[in-house]
Amino acid sequence: MKAFKGLDTLSSIGGLVALLFLGVLPTLFTGKYLVGVLTVAAIYGIWAVSWDFMSGLTGRENFGHSLFIGVGAYAAGFLNVHFGLGPWWSLPASMLVAMVFAVVLGFPTLRLKGPYFALAMLSSAVIMQRLMLIFWEYTGGEEGIHDITPLIVNPLHYYWFVLAVLGGITLLLSWMARSRWGLILRAIRGDEATCLAAGLPITTYKIMSLVISAAFAGLGGALYAHYQLQVSPQLFAVVTSITIITMVYVGGMGTIFGAVGGALLLTVMTEGLRNFGEWRLMVYSLLLIFILFFLPNGIIAPIWQKIRNLGRPS
Amino acid sequence: MTIASVKKKFKSMLGALLLCTGLLSSSVVLAQDKPVRIGVPTSVQLQVGRDTLTAVKMAVDEINKKGGVLGRKFEFVSADETENPETGISAIKKLTADEKVDLLIGGYTSGVTLAQLPHISAAKTIYLGVGAASPSITNKVKQDYDNYKYIFRVGPVNAAHQARGLVDFISKFVIGELGYKKIAIVGENAKWVQDLVPILSKGAKDVGADIRMTELFDTQTSDFSPLLAKVKSSGAEYMVVVLSHASSDVFAKQWHDAQVPVPYGGIDVKSMDGDFFNRIGGKSISQIAANFAVRAPITKKTVPFFDEFKKNSSNFPVYSAFFAYDAVFIYADAVKRAGSFETDKVIKELEKTKHEGVAGEITFDEQHDVQAGPGKVNFMFVQWQEKGERAVIYPKELRTGKFIMPPWMKK
Amino acid sequence: MEILIYGAVTSAIYAMLAVGFTLIFGVARILNLAHGSFYALGAYLAYVLTTLAGLPLWLAALLSIVIVAVFGVLVEKILIRPLRASQLGVLMISLATALVVEQALFLTFGSEYRNVPAFIETKYNLFGVDVAGQRLLTLAVATVSIGGLYGFIQFTRLGSAILAISQDPLAAKYMGIPSDRIFSLVMAISAGLAALAGVMAGPFLSVQPSMHLLPIVKAFAIVVVGGLGSIPGSIAAAFMLGYAETIVAYMVSSSWTEIVSVLATLLMLVFRPAGLFGKRAAF
Repeated sequence: MKAFKGLDTLSSIGGLVALLFLGVLPTLFTGKYLVGVLTVAAIYGIWAVSWDFMSGLTGRENFGHSLFIGVGAYAAGFLNVHFGLGPWWSLPASMLVAMVFAVVLGFPTLRLKGPYFALAMLSSAVIMQRLMLIFWEYTGGEEGIHDITPLIVNPLHYYWFVLAVLGGITLLLSWMARSRWGLILRAIRGDEATCLAAGLPITTYKIMSLVISAAFAGLGGALYAHYQLQVSPQLFAVVTSITIITMVYVGGMGTIFGAVGGALLLTVMTEGLRNFGEWRLMVYSLLLIFILFFLPNGIIAPIWQKIRNLGRPS
Repeated sequence: MTIASVKKKFKSMLGALLLCTGLLSSSVVLAQDKPVRIGVPTSVQLQVGRDTLTAVKMAVDEINKKGGVLGRKFEFVSADETENPETGISAIKKLTADEKVDLLIGGYTSGVTLAQLPHISAAKTIYLGVGAASPSITNKVKQDYDNYKYIFRVGPVNAAHQARGLVDFISKFVIGELGYKKIAIVGENAKWVQDLVPILSKGAKDVGADIRMTELFDTQTSDFSPLLAKVKSSGAEYMVVVLSHASSDVFAKQWHDAQVPVPYGGIDVKSMDGDFFNRIGGKSISQIAANFAVRAPITKKTVPFFDEFKKNSSNFPVYSAFFAYDAVFIYADAVKRAGSFETDKVIKELEKTKHEGVAGEITFDEQHDVQAGPGKVNFMFVQWQEKGERAVIYPKELRTGKFIMPPWMKK
Repeated sequence: MEILIYGAVTSAIYAMLAVGFTLIFGVARILNLAHGSFYALGAYLAYVLTTLAGLPLWLAALLSIVIVAVFGVLVEKILIRPLRASQLGVLMISLATALVVEQALFLTFGSEYRNVPAFIETKYNLFGVDVAGQRLLTLAVATVSIGGLYGFIQFTRLGSAILAISQDPLAAKYMGIPSDRIFSLVMAISAGLAALAGVMAGPFLSVQPSMHLLPIVKAFAIVVVGGLGSIPGSIAAAFMLGYAETIVAYMVSSSWTEIVSVLATLLMLVFRPAGLFGKRAAF
């Protein structure tokens, strides 16, 4: 049974089981703490998956992903607090705003080679962060916008909603990655010149993938805004982008689902490390170095591969 | 054995394990003598945070020595909210959802507190603020009593009161005694300052000041030379500062090194630190900083508190400590009067608080905000003098020393 | 007038940072995002050696520079060299290193500002402008060190070797130039220069764990504008940027200064990736 075109039975079942497990998990524990942690983990999952789709497949690492997250979140904040619109409007609005930014930034920067694209995006994120601070009269400056209304008041229900969104996006992007789309993006990673020679409209594909990546990042940003009930310039920080990149590395670049695993693993791990709160970033950076050296294929994806191969004759 | 069944087995084992863990961790001890847990969200890295914790510890120890309250002892746990709203929110979540505290005492950055409010309200936990000054915090109590009745501010007096205190200082001392009418207002671009400066400007103008320039700079600024040059060329005779998170250390150093011919003073939280003068090589000499208490008998409790604090820590306390110490007792007294720990009953009693604190008498207005005024909590202006000594310059009744000019401006 | 002098001081600091950054790139093709950490470590070590070890300032400064230079060499050898095949990998790992250093400083010293003593405490009055002595000294030191570096590269044999490698690594190797050792040397010079900047600027700029971030952003901005791999380009761009920032700070407000450099980078990358004087394009 092919659940979806391009995704085989095992992966579908695996994904479904994982989803169910995550959904049920918080109900086993009393208190709202775990739900909170998992909600944040799921949102990071959305951000990681969206990053992986573009950067993991094309190999063009985007160091400024936080920009799309931030504009999505601020869009939600503005609409909700300054314009008084209901929270559900944030979802499409945040995606739209992020997509616009992706188009505007994508055109000039996607021509650049690897590190320069990365740094150009990084610079853009830094500029946005600065602008948020400079125009503090409109954006609330360092303290941001607060008093955002929640989308769904019950934390457990909201968690399930976010989980559903995560599942949906992962499914969609996995499907796209295994379709012709993904093939072309991977080809771009391999050798752009050949692609050009073959007559493929590379620029279009690159920009489209950035736009899709941005859209979901922005959506995640809005979900985050309605969870935290506030947005601040911290969202644009380099640290956010680096955290997401680490998650994807841990999960396995380009595998899409690996990003989700990485996000969940790292978020839960971070909360566990909360007692050593100040050490968190240290651990992150050390982990990144460790992975870059020893596990360039990540942790999650290779493990999944091994599990898959369990049932196969060697 | 198919993969599916392997997975099933694994999942069910895991599920069982988790179920057991869950049950174990959720078994709550319902005994009456479960201690009262105080959660302290504060900026642990800064002096403000450290002193808040020391003060809470002192109060908790004193209460426990007397047998606790209604048979229950007190204990406390802290969470670092840094100066960042994101971290602040996680700190609150950690304290309320995970540590399950009964009461929150803390706070420093107004922006962080504002971001935390909806989460505190959702957790239905009493919050006694001891460090954040923005009036917006207690405005919420008025706007939405049912949801925000949990919020109280024990200290400091809010930014509006502070502005008025500053205006008094300008009118009676800067203009009145020093004869300087031309002033420059310089502050960091944080919420509490944005609330404070308009009131300050208007008040100062009303008492005859000639405001030559007003500038709010980014809290992250580390090079103040353009700003200081602007102040100098504006013709101002005195620079009024409103600083808390900004790099006061660097500001003072650069002001001193460039020998800016404009004395300065005002609100400068970092300058309240006992070691401020020494850690910048004495370069804050002649700077005046507002403070809520010094080691002088403002109330019966002031001097003993200062001395006891010095024993527990290596320095004299900063402002958050006074209020954190008072906050614990205020809560304890409210519980005693209410005869129970039930939140709504305690809130009713908290509203009636009349407590002799370290810095003055603490009472709350209808917005749960600490009141200012004679006999209550007030500003006093303290100057750094030779060898790191501090002298109260204003108000006149509390004066302990003579005002000095910056060394390069002495005639 | 103030703009002229303060701008010069700011530019001098930026120049010291930028030159080191562009040097290691020009020679080894390494975009070292940990360069800012060398700056930070320079300042912190000066603080530690004077305050905690009680050493006289000049000795502390010297030791600080040497230690950071060694650290730089180790970072290059252990962390960066294995990943040299991928420019992106180098970027990631140098960034990760910078974060580790920042966290280490944060954990050791806390987030509050530290006080680094200055060489000169007195104030001077130059053309009617009050300038702190330390700032003028920084300007002087920067000029001397960069000038010295330039002379070293142009006029010595070792310098020629460095130039050779930056122009054509393969050919240089065939000529028997030990590229690995040269990389280490260049890294040491680069790190040492950054540390010197930290030691000089520490007294009047802020010393806190995240102080590495802005300098690296600006160094990168300058180097991109000036052209990656070109020392004269970096110096010129450093002055352009330093003055642009100072002018903005005086005319408009200090908040806008950070945007100046980042915006300049972005625009340069988009319109002329080779920079003003660059030999190597970003394509």
